[in-house]
Amino acid sequence: MKFQSRRDFLKTAAAGSLIAATGVRPLLAADEVLKVGVIHMGPISDTGWEYFQANAWRALESAFPGKVKVTALENIAQIQDCERLFRQLSAQGHKLIFGTTFSQYASLKKLAPTMPNSHFECCAGIAAGTNLGVFEAREYEGAYVTGIAAGRMTKSNVLGWVGAFPVPQVIYSINAFLLGARSVNPDVVVKVVWANAWVDPAKEKDAVAALVAQGADVLSGSPNTPVQGLAAEEKGVWSIGNTGDFSRYVKKKQLVSYELDWSSAHISAAKAVMEGNWKPESSWLGLGEGGYVKMTTSSPELPETVAKEMKVAEDAIVAGKLKVFAGEIKDQSGKVKVASGQELSENDIKGMTWLIDGVQGTLPQN
Amino acid sequence: MSQILPILIATLIAGTPLVYAALGELVTERSGVLNMGVEGMMVVGAVIAFITMQTTGELWLAVMTAMLAAMVLALMFSVLVVSFRAHQVAVGLAMTIFGTSFGSFIGKSYVGMAIVMEPSTLSALASKIPLLGIVLGQLHPLVWLSWALFAGVWFFLYRTRSGLIVRAVGEAPSSAHAIGYPVVLIRYLCTLFGGAMAGVAGAYISIVYTSLWTEGLIAGRGWIAVALVVFATWRPGRCFLGAYLFGGATIAQLFAQSAGIGLPSELMSALPYLVTILVLVLISRNATLMRLNVPASLGQPFVAGG
Repeated sequence: MKFQSRRDFLKTAAAGSLIAATGVRPLLAADEVLKVGVIHMGPISDTGWEYFQANAWRALESAFPGKVKVTALENIAQIQDCERLFRQLSAQGHKLIFGTTFSQYASLKKLAPTMPNSHFECCAGIAAGTNLGVFEAREYEGAYVTGIAAGRMTKSNVLGWVGAFPVPQVIYSINAFLLGARSVNPDVVVKVVWANAWVDPAKEKDAVAALVAQGADVLSGSPNTPVQGLAAEEKGVWSIGNTGDFSRYVKKKQLVSYELDWSSAHISAAKAVMEGNWKPESSWLGLGEGGYVKMTTSSPELPETVAKEMKVAEDAIVAGKLKVFAGEIKDQSGKVKVASGQELSENDIKGMTWLIDGVQGTLPQN
Repeated sequence: MSQILPILIATLIAGTPLVYAALGELVTERSGVLNMGVEGMMVVGAVIAFITMQTTGELWLAVMTAMLAAMVLALMFSVLVVSFRAHQVAVGLAMTIFGTSFGSFIGKSYVGMAIVMEPSTLSALASKIPLLGIVLGQLHPLVWLSWALFAGVWFFLYRTRSGLIVRAVGEAPSSAHAIGYPVVLIRYLCTLFGGAMAGVAGAYISIVYTSLWTEGLIAGRGWIAVALVVFATWRPGRCFLGAYLFGGATIAQLFAQSAGIGLPSELMSALPYLVTILVLVLISRNATLMRLNVPASLGQPFVAGG
């Protein structure tokens, strides 16, 4: 490890302010290999959030064979360790460094301006900062399209959702799921159960049982593991691969799924760094070419007509003709949140803390 | 009304790992050893069972290997606290940290994998029993075995000579030693038994309950088991009920949420803990009696002739 003297620190600080003032960045030599560093807070495993993050840098490596070298560190659970390793990666000459979770955002916001020799990108950050770009998925677009399948396939008109924590990303997905379902079946409701844990598979399984007992026959949620799908299969009801395709595990009863594909974020950032025109930007992409949300497997039992309906909606969303959060939308108390003819602003979607009329479940009260 | 049966069955399923882990810990503590490493032993049991199940597909072999693996940890624990008389709480905490990280390490390449459980033939047979069959048929034989374990532990502690000796060792190890009982050996055996049961609890969670391995799978259930033993005032019956009480409150809050009962979900998630503590405190509100129930030498190292 390199010892950082105060003089070194002053030098970096001076270089930092120079960049801030002029926007001049160190360029890559023509034959130089771009060293990319990635810090995963969890294990990469073979499904779930970190897996998709790893797929992105794998895609980056194959997009620039021989031109890019990725150093990926996995399962760095403590944020203090992440900070130390971000510094270390930068000191070792990694010109582009990725954080994979929102938990790293605050640290990166603090660190990125002090390490001008590297360019930083954080997944699921709030806003771009000095020397720090952020990218996040419009997951609600995927949730809306899967909602169409759920709305068509439900016999009880009760859909179920197992939530990890009531954060806006989960809330807007629940709302979009119901809106998608209602677009084809106005009588549908969504029952929500919060596990209040990111990882507690046993509790998630019990939550599935509770929802099924309440009549839910198509389940979605925010799982990182196939447990919800497996539990649903055991009960003989449909499940939706939300943010991941679990059809490898859930052999019969996974109805449809969407997954997260961050490759374009990695590839475009690396390309910009190589060309010397990288800028800290904020991107929020959903379905469509180069987007971060991709519709994947659907069950052979999904009727052709429904698949077509989903495709039509997907295309309309990509073309910008279909806005998921367009009025009229009422909240649970019946108050009109989005008037007819209006649509919700991006910031209002990103910070969503209310459930729409037809979602049965509670949220923390402010 | 149609909700009662699913809630009852889910409660029995959710309470079972706690029954195993807590009854095992109860026997350990009755011999005067406080094992705070239950969580770590459950993690190791869970991952070993899962790997065995993945590679061989043999349920009972998986349960056996889980028991053995957790017993290895319990043996390390016993050597340190019984033979070398290290501080029991500190070593127990170390065992939990070690077990949790070691479990993640060896389970790394199995994260997110799932096993397909064939419906148990025993359960299928049981479902044919009139009346009880509706419940029994939906429960794994490991659930029934936990009932046998409860009966066995109760009978052992209160109706056998060996149980009496274990209790004597926990109350007054010096006296037990003076009249010729091998205190060290008894503490070893009781700790190994506790470890084995933690292993079964872990195996049950990774194989029967969730059928998959992932980090964080045990999610603190080992700690709940340790706490249950204390709140149950070291009595098997209360321990057994406490496990189902906790499981039941967890299940009930999930059902209440899905039924749209409008309480904040965070509060509902705390409910199992609150209810279990409240009920167990109420039934043991006689402080004198509770103090009398604590194995007098709990947590204290034993020195022969000391």
